[in-house]
Amino acid sequence: MRAIDAGLLICHECHQLNPQQPDSRKQFCTRCGGRLHARRPNSLVRTWALLLTAAVLYIPANLLPIMTVNSLGKGQSDTIMSGVIELVNYGMLPIAAVVFIASILVPTFKLVGIALLLYSVQRHQPMSARQRILMYRFIEWIGRWSMLDIFVIAILVAVVNFGSLASIEPGYGATAFASVVVLTMLAALTFDPRLIWDNTDSDDDHE
Amino acid sequence: MAEPPSTDSFSELELKQLIACHECDLLLRRPPTAAGDRVECPRCGYELYTHRTQVIRRSMALVIAALLLYVPANFLPIMRLNLLGQATEDTVWSGVLGLYNNGMQGVAVVVFLCSMAVPLLKLLCQFAVLLSIRLDIGRSYGLLLYRIYHHMREWGMLEVYLMGILVAIVKLVDLAELSLGLGLLCFIALLLVQVWLEVTMSPHQIWEALSGEDEHARD
Repeated sequence: MRAIDAGLLICHECHQLNPQQPDSRKQFCTRCGGRLHARRPNSLVRTWALLLTAAVLYIPANLLPIMTVNSLGKGQSDTIMSGVIELVNYGMLPIAAVVFIASILVPTFKLVGIALLLYSVQRHQPMSARQRILMYRFIEWIGRWSMLDIFVIAILVAVVNFGSLASIEPGYGATAFASVVVLTMLAALTFDPRLIWDNTDSDDDHE
Repeated sequence: MAEPPSTDSFSELELKQLIACHECDLLLRRPPTAAGDRVECPRCGYELYTHRTQVIRRSMALVIAALLLYVPANFLPIMRLNLLGQATEDTVWSGVLGLYNNGMQGVAVVVFLCSMAVPLLKLLCQFAVLLSIRLDIGRSYGLLLYRIYHHMREWGMLEVYLMGILVAIVKLVDLAELSLGLGLLCFIALLLVQVWLEVTMSPHQIWEALSGEDEHARD
């Protein structure tokens, strides 16, 4: 049985149960004062909006240089992918794998994964609720790790600062990439996981 | 594991005896809790709550330790780089400044928030919440601050930053003479204390203590 069927609302903030008052438009939690909703309002539409914005920015994030290395008058621009290839060429495979996963696989997987979740909720896809909730949790957990490349740029720009001898400048790809990461994190937060269970009508899905 | 309530007995059950899963909205009868218990949702496996002993005292010690580590972790040099007699230093703060001065204000703000501002605000919120429970003053502000804390949780990214430091070290180690600083040690310590604190301070018990439902929570 779902709490919503029993006329109970869970507070998003403190997880307290509150009885639903049918006549009042706005309701607040009796314990912490947070605004109560049965489901996050317009969850699907808002998540789609954030996701599509992220998908558009994903293109410049991968094509524009994220940093330029200046060394003795020569400048060399790096995109996300060329940074990974360079690490592989140096023979630093484990680190190359970490960067590849954090900056290429994870953002792509998040964009596709959230789109798949939204689509499956709207179209009653045959994916089981358990698969979908695992995917949602994975996306929510891994999202933050894509910030890795942004932090690396911040450190490199600060430390490689030897004037004309050698310096590193950040590029606009970094701005686009940071926006993609923030937007996909927001999209994961806006998505209401309870929607996954709402349309599975398999209340006895648990063992 | 908690048992789902049968539908017919539901109306007689008081609200206090019920609990609902935050992630899948399944309604459950609240299982009896003993110290050290961990309750999971039987349908989706989400952790409903964990009951720990001496939450307030332990969390207080950890919060104070983390706050003491915060300044050295962010302002002492993480690494020093030496190239042909020229030396540079890197701190978390200089990373933010470097981006800002290179015309990347937007990214600089994001890095500043995720690596410095949000971790500090989180710690301050936790400290204020614990103080308000311990001294029994300003519970309503405590509730508000703890709500704010839950919204910030996701955005503090110290562990990702540490990974970033490692990647940067690997990239730089062949190019120039590199030495690690005391700041790195403080940063790792801050990260460990903060993770430990998040595990110790179980939200369910803090909410109950803040709303005055549990008299024993203050120990």
